This record gives sequence, structure tokens and C-alpha cells, in this order.
Amino acid sequence: MKIGIEIHSRLLSDKLFCNCPSTLTEDQSPEIKIERMLHPVLSELGESDRTGIAEFKKGKTFEYWAYRNCNCLVETDEEPPHPLNSDALKIVLQIAMQLNATPVDEVQIMRKMVIDGSNTSGFQRTSLIALNGHIESSKGTINIPMIALEEESSGIVSSSENRAVYRLDRLGIPLVEISTSPDIKDGAHLVEVAEKIGLILRATGKVARGLGTIRQDVNVSTEGGSRVEIKGAQDLKMLPPLVDIEVKRQLELVKILVELRERKALPIKSEVVDVTKILHSANSPLIINGLKAGAVVLAQKLPLHKGILGREIAPGKRYGTELSDYAKRAGVKGLIHSDENLDKYSFSETEITQLRSILDLSDADAFVMVVAPAEQAQKALSYVIERANMDHVPEETRRANPDGTSTFMRPLPGRARLYPETDIPPTRLTQEFLQSLDRGESLEDKKAKLEKLLNPDLAKTMLRSRNLHLFEKLVELGADPMMAATTLENTLVSLRRDGIEFNDLEKTLKDLFGEYKKGSFVKAAIPDVLKGMAKGSPASTVLKVFRLQKITGIELEKLVAKEQCNQAAIMQKYRLQVDPQEVTELIAKLKCENPDYR
Amino acid sequence: MYAPEIEKLLKQKKISLGDQVKVVSSSGEFIGLLMPRPEYGDQGVLIIKLNTGYNVGIAPLSLNDPTSIEIVSKSSLTKPTNIKTAKPTNSPEKHIGANGSAGEVVVLGCGGTIASKVDYKSGAVYPAISPEELRASFPQIEKISTIHTKQLFSIFSEDMSVWHWQQMAEACIAEIKEGVTGIVLMHGTDTLGYSSAALSFMLQNLPVPIVFVGAQRSSDRPSSDNEQNLLNAIFAAKADFAEVSVCMHGESNDSFAFLHRGTRIRKMHTSRRDAFRSINASPLAKIDYASNKFEKLQETKPRSTDVGKIEINTKMSDNVAMAYFHPGMQPGFFKHLSAYDGAVVIATGMGHVATNPFGEKHSKSLLEPIKELISSNIPVVFAPQTLSGRLNLNVYSAGRLLKEAGVIGDGCDYLPETAFAKLSWVLGQTKDMKKIKELMEKNLVGEISSRSTLDFDEPQFIERCCE
Repeated sequence: MKIGIEIHSRLLSDKLFCNCPSTLTEDQSPEIKIERMLHPVLSELGESDRTGIAEFKKGKTFEYWAYRNCNCLVETDEEPPHPLNSDALKIVLQIAMQLNATPVDEVQIMRKMVIDGSNTSGFQRTSLIALNGHIESSKGTINIPMIALEEESSGIVSSSENRAVYRLDRLGIPLVEISTSPDIKDGAHLVEVAEKIGLILRATGKVARGLGTIRQDVNVSTEGGSRVEIKGAQDLKMLPPLVDIEVKRQLELVKILVELRERKALPIKSEVVDVTKILHSANSPLIINGLKAGAVVLAQKLPLHKGILGREIAPGKRYGTELSDYAKRAGVKGLIHSDENLDKYSFSETEITQLRSILDLSDADAFVMVVAPAEQAQKALSYVIERANMDHVPEETRRANPDGTSTFMRPLPGRARLYPETDIPPTRLTQEFLQSLDRGESLEDKKAKLEKLLNPDLAKTMLRSRNLHLFEKLVELGADPMMAATTLENTLVSLRRDGIEFNDLEKTLKDLFGEYKKGSFVKAAIPDVLKGMAKGSPASTVLKVFRLQKITGIELEKLVAKEQCNQAAIMQKYRLQVDPQEVTELIAKLKCENPDYR
Repeated sequence: MYAPEIEKLLKQKKISLGDQVKVVSSSGEFIGLLMPRPEYGDQGVLIIKLNTGYNVGIAPLSLNDPTSIEIVSKSSLTKPTNIKTAKPTNSPEKHIGANGSAGEVVVLGCGGTIASKVDYKSGAVYPAISPEELRASFPQIEKISTIHTKQLFSIFSEDMSVWHWQQMAEACIAEIKEGVTGIVLMHGTDTLGYSSAALSFMLQNLPVPIVFVGAQRSSDRPSSDNEQNLLNAIFAAKADFAEVSVCMHGESNDSFAFLHRGTRIRKMHTSRRDAFRSINASPLAKIDYASNKFEKLQETKPRSTDVGKIEINTKMSDNVAMAYFHPGMQPGFFKHLSAYDGAVVIATGMGHVATNPFGEKHSKSLLEPIKELISSNIPVVFAPQTLSGRLNLNVYSAGRLLKEAGVIGDGCDYLPETAFAKLSWVLGQTKDMKKIKELMEKNLVGEISSRSTLDFDEPQFIERCCE
């Protein structure tokens, strides 16, 4: 088993090939809609790419939603790209240095053919920036053969057989892509490596944070199986089950192949039969609704496949699911197959008998069936036969599901997918230029810095926290590091548990710590002040309205005197308004008459 | 082309493009396919295609050390020629003369983006795809019409000249005589309007349509507009009209195309798909091959079976100048125009250049040099900088003075490029100054309209926004 990982992280700069800001619009509805189609072209080597061909077979129309504040003619493919954004290039070079990689002598921008429509041009621009890096891990050195700079694709809104809708706000945001060699030993090791690379990226302070800004693609290959790339794991916790399940899936598929070979069940001849007439009066809602909408029912015999389709290859996924995933590329909802419990479709005895007879099924055979408009159903079954006839575990790009399983997306792309972007001249990276670059902060620097500011536990938490950048900003503005870290990592977490959220956390905390610095309230009041601020009020207002202003000086003296230096009583009544240390000092100074209460 | 030292080393080691090589640089060893070097950038940096498909630039450690580059294996590419630089085929003589059969649409290739490939030598896009290759790329063509194809030239449209226009016209005549249903000319977009205007004058009373087509986005990208434009153009070439026209994207969407009159079309944007607009006129039709739609937007000349009625006059002057007037233009500039057969002056407003009627001491009048040109039988034709609207030399004193001096163009609403093509053509027909003026100011093939319609310059746009 070999495991490698690709990490994509958005960079904090404007877009890569135009001067649009890398902001995502909150607006869900488009300001401008554009409709396009794509067709495959040959690479510079005269090869055509299997991914391109596979996608083109779908013959889709693409609808793009554009926004005036963050899209221009470049993203709509109505203007050639501008030169490579030098800020983004510098950030990647800085990351490359932290990963001990060597920059190339000249950056060549490539077009990676992606004709699923997620790029208006039909390709994603990408360039190799540095090579041969490495990091250390608990189980040895992990090599990082490539670090690339590429543009983010558009975000998908919806997709059906003939149409996919994309938002263009995301398109063109710079991404760093870090790929490791298959040096990773197991799921737990994978988490360690992914986390370390993530921390190195964050330590630079120049990558975006938040949902969707970092994505991990895992490469798994097994002996006898093949290389499979699983995209879209957003959560590190998801990685170990993802690997384990993929390894099992490949092993099971190999077992199935061995068995199919023994049964001499391959290859399967395409013999699609229209069984609409047999099932036209079936009492199954699936069939009734389908036929009402003008669908047909097509079936295909899978000779000597009985029992195979029902074989589990991953939790809740059978070989039938594998075939169904391919069928879905034609836009059908799924497959009916003979290894599933056909009772749920309420077919009658006669219908099943007629079906078996028209398909000429023996006891050892299986069949698949699809309900869809004729052309679509035909296409779906041709994909199924194509998959069922593969005499190997196919190299695939798969999408991670939240439960750790994955779903087929497309064949794994080959090198023919890359050809040069001729609209942008190459960029020479001279030694002088590279030496002039700021290396930025390394993970070790960052760790040391945090350990100086915080206790070891909190330093460790902060290093991994998504609030790291905000923490640094607050400390820079004069907030007490321990207090800032506790507020970010503890107070806010428990407030969030109570359903209290902040629209602009940075602004709120700057206001909070600014007010605290003035001495307007005490530490114990922080949760209550924050609660008050959640609705958007400034700290000063919250303090007044909720009577949380700090009692100090003469006022506190009066209070201490009134409570006859009873510290426990004072703290009980005025916990949120007085500083305990100040109270202790005052009690010592005033020496109230009844010393027993001290 | 690599630096001479590298080329020498490659030759010495018998390494050619496409071979698998090992390069030693200061940062280590790299193995990959040797790719051609674009003409720009550092010629001392080798372009290597790594196994992943990425190209990277690697500077060999030392050019004097022969071990810096080693061959690993010879090229295994099936089509190694594909990575060599495409050479333009520029010998149209042998291509002139039809080879097709009657009833088909002929697609004539003249170069341009629509038929472009990446030139990995210059790193730029290069016109080199033959019509045959396009037919192979777009099998849908056959659903619209049977076609035959011919490559006239493979050049950028800015390299076109009067000679090329004449070659195009000759090729069209030959095809028409063979009985084609229609003609499609694939052409670069930059000067497409000049060529379509020139052919409009050279070939009048056509029996079949001639449809120019181009692409704004290069054909090496999956999103290129070449496919839709070409399919719509072939569809238009079968339609019931018979004029020289231009077929291009109607909007940014891959939805419909506009068919424009050849004398009315102008590229109004450097890069957008819908850059082409009819000026001072409506497009001829809104078309969509996919839904078999040909919606006429104005009157057109119908097809005819009488090939004999075609008027062919391909004689043109290739010595016409075009000058863009600007404030402070030096009278001396016009002296140079005496070397030409005629000049188009792109004038301000309703047809003005500096005449200084008030004797302002800081202004210089161009009236005298213009008079001199006209008196030495060099026609001076005015066209509007505003593109939209009509010249009127009667309103301001500048206009009156220029009209009196013999400037041609009063009352015309043609485009400057059309005026240029027309003057070149008129000068091929006559040298008589009176006749020249008469022909220039008379509508011959839809280049001048008698009425200024209520819509502003882009009626197609107004229609779209109010749909």
C-alpha cells in the first residue's frame, strides 16, 4: 500500500491572472449569467486526454454566475490572462523554502485540461514552482516532489445530465498545491503529515483560513489494484477511514476480478434490451413515474455475474454501486440490478419471469436495468458495460463522502492533460530575486514564539488553532497573550456552544481588548461582555447597559468599607465588577474593624 | 531556439526535441522530454516536460560541461512532428481553382485564430489548422452540410493585402462556377472587416452567399468560439440570401450568431466573443444552426440560379493611404500622401479636420495640403471617427471649406475601413476624379444608407436588452 497526499491551500492575495480581489460574494443570486459549451483539444504532444474525452461525451451546457465586484472578462474567458500575480508567486516561494524545496529556474505556466466546466476556458492554469522538498515525520522523511501554484476553479451550484451551473467568484483565487511522494505509511501517519504541512502553511500567515480554503486529496495505491485519487477531504479526522476503506475497496475489487476471470464472465457483450413493454404496468412507483415522464426501461444481461453485484466492497457499497456510479455519469439516478432485493420495486412474478426470459438469463447470470429517457438510458448502460468489462481496478479520481467511503468522479487524468499556456510568457527566477525574498516565519519560529507568550498547553493549542492569525493581531495591538488565547480557545468555544456567534469576530475582539486595556471592566466579566456584544453593540455600550463597568479606586474603597472588608461577600456580589487582587490590597490597607472576615 | 552553446551541445549529442533527457542544474538532476524553446525568455534555460506533464525551465549547470545534458531515450511520441514549428503554407496559386462538387458548401482557409495552433517555438498562437483538420475536429459539420475545403493561406489577418483579397475573390469565383451552395471564408478577426468590404465591391450580384467567419478565442482552448462560429457560418452559407457577409457570436453566451453585411461590420472589442457589431445598420439575421433558426432582421439579396449575372471586378489599387486626424496634426504629414493613389482621412465629427477659419495663431490649417493633393488628382475621402452617424460637410465652416476643396464623403455613413476598401476598389475601376467622387458617394453594396434610422449604432444590442 502506498499513500501520498496533495494539499491545496488558498493564498492571501488578489487573483492569480487578473486584478480582481479574492473575495467570495455572499450574494447567492448571479448578477450576470453566461452560457457556454466546451470541446476537447489536443495537447502539444498530439495526444488527447482520457479525462477530456470522458467529460466531452457528456455534451453539457455550462451556466456561469458572475459578480461585478470579483469577476472581470478574464474569468469569463473573454480576455486573455494578465501576467502571473507576483505576490502569489512570492508566497509560494516562501512556502517552498519552508518545505526545503528548490525553486525551478524558470516558471512555465501550463493549462490543465478540465472540461467538466469548472473553468470557463476549459483548463485550469497551473505552474510548477519548486521541486524536491521534504519534511520530517515520526516515521521518516516525507518527500515533496512538487509544489505548484494554480488557480482555483469555480464553485458548483448544481449539475444535471445536460447542464452544470457554476459560480465564478472563486475562479482564479491562487492556490498552492503541495504533493508528497507515496511515503506515508498508514492512516494515522497521513493525519500527522497533513497536519504538519497545514501548520507550516499557517505559520507563514499568508494562506487563507476558514471553510473550504484548504483541501486534501489522498492518493492510495495497492498491490494488484491501482492508483486512486480521492478528492475533497476537508477534515483531517476523515483521512484514516478514507484510506482504510479505499484499501479494502481495491482488495475486494481484485478478488471480484479474480472470480470473474475464473467464471470466464468477461468480456460482456453489449446487448441492451428495451423491456418497457414488459414492465409498463408494473406497480412500482419508480417505473410508474418514470414512464409518465417519457422514460424507457432498458436492461442488460451480465452473464455469469450472479452474486457479484451484491458483493460488499466498502461499507454500504456493493459492486453494483460501483457500476451505478458509472451509470450516473449519464445523469440517471441509479441502477436496478438482480442481486438486490427486487421486492422493493413490487414487480410481479410474471414480470420477473418475462424479464428473465427476454434477457435469456440462466441461474448464474445477473442483469442491470435503468429507467430514463431513451438516449440517456442507452448512455448509462454503455458506461456500465464499459466499467464491467475493465480487466483491472481502474485508475480513478473519486470524491470523498462524509462516511469515509468515496464515489467515482472521472478517470484519473494523464500527462496529456497538460499543455503550455501561451498567453503568458515564462518567469525567470534568478538567484538575486530568490535571495531577496523574505523566508517568512517557519513552524519552529512560530512554536518558539508562542511558547514564550503562553503556557505549554495553550501554546500547543494556539499553534493548531484557526484563530492563530487573529491571536497574533490581538497581541500586536497590546492584548495580554494569555487572556487573548483563553478568550479565543475557551470562552468563545463555550459561547458558541450556547449558540452565540459573532458577525465580525476580529472587530469585536479588538474592541473588547481595547476597552479592557483602558481598565473599563474586569477579566471575569469577559464572557458576559461578549454575550452582550454578540448582537453588534460596542463594548462601551454593553458595559453601561449591563452594569459591568469596573468598580475601582474610591468607589471600591467605599464598597469594601460598606461590606466591612468581607472579601467573600464582596466577591460573591460583585464578582463581575471588581478585581480580586485590588480588593485584597484594599482590605489590607483599610484594616476593617472586624478582622475575622478577612 | 536555444542559445547557440546549447544548440551545439544538443547537435553533438544527437539530442532532438521530444527526446527524454537528463539535465544537471545547480539544484539537482531532472529527467523529462526536451521541449522547444519559445523565442522570448532566457535562451539558456532548457524547457523540460516532466513525467507529470508539467513543463519547467531548468538552467544547465554549465554549458561547457558536456555532461550537463544527457540523452536518456529517443522520442517515443507517435507524432513527433506535432511539436515542431508549423510552417505556413503560403502558395495559394496552386490552390486556386475549384476541386469541389456542386451543391456543397466550400470552406476556404485564410488563417487567423479560428484555424490556429500553438506555435511552441514562439510560444504564441499560430494560424495553421487546415479546414480538413477542422472537419475532423467538428464532426457536427456533416450534419449541417456536406463540405469541401481548401487552404488559401495561413496568415495573421494583419498580414493581408490587396493581393490576398484578390486571391480570395478569385477562389470564390472558381467555386461559384463549380456550383457550390455557399462559401465560408475562415479569416483572422483583426482585419476581417476590410476583407469582407473588399469582396463586397469586387463580387457583386452574387448567386450564393459568401460568409466570412473568425474566432476571438484561440482554437487550442476547449472554450474557443471557433466551433459555434464555424457551424453557424456553414449553416448561413446554405441560407436563402446572396451577399458577402460576416458570421460571429451574437453575445458572450454560446447561443446564437449574428450575420452581418460585409460592408457594415466592425470589430469593437479586442477580445470578447461578441466583438463584431454592425455599425449604422442592423445585422442581416440572427441565426442558430442548432435550432435551425435563420431570423431575418433586414432585407437581403436573394439567391439566384443565374451565375452569369455575377459582376466580377477584382482590380484594385494597392496604394491607398489612411490617416487618422488628431488635434495639432502637422500640414507636412499630408505632403507625404502625394505618393499615394488616394487617401482616406478619418475625420472628426461630421467630417472635419483643422482648417483654422478664424486665423488662430497657434493653429495650423490642413486645407492647403488637402487642396494640393486633390489638384494633383489624388482623391481625399473622409470617413467618421465616431463610426456611428453620417458625415455632413454643410453645417460648419470647416466642413464647407473642405467640401469646396473637393473632399469626398459628404452625406456618407460608411465605416472608415469600408471607405478604404471602397476607394482601393474604385481606383481600380477609374482614374477620373469626377467619377471617383460619384462612385464613392453612391451606395453600391449596402455600404451607405439613405436614411439614418432611429436606433443608435447597435440596433442588435438594443433589441437584445429589450427582449
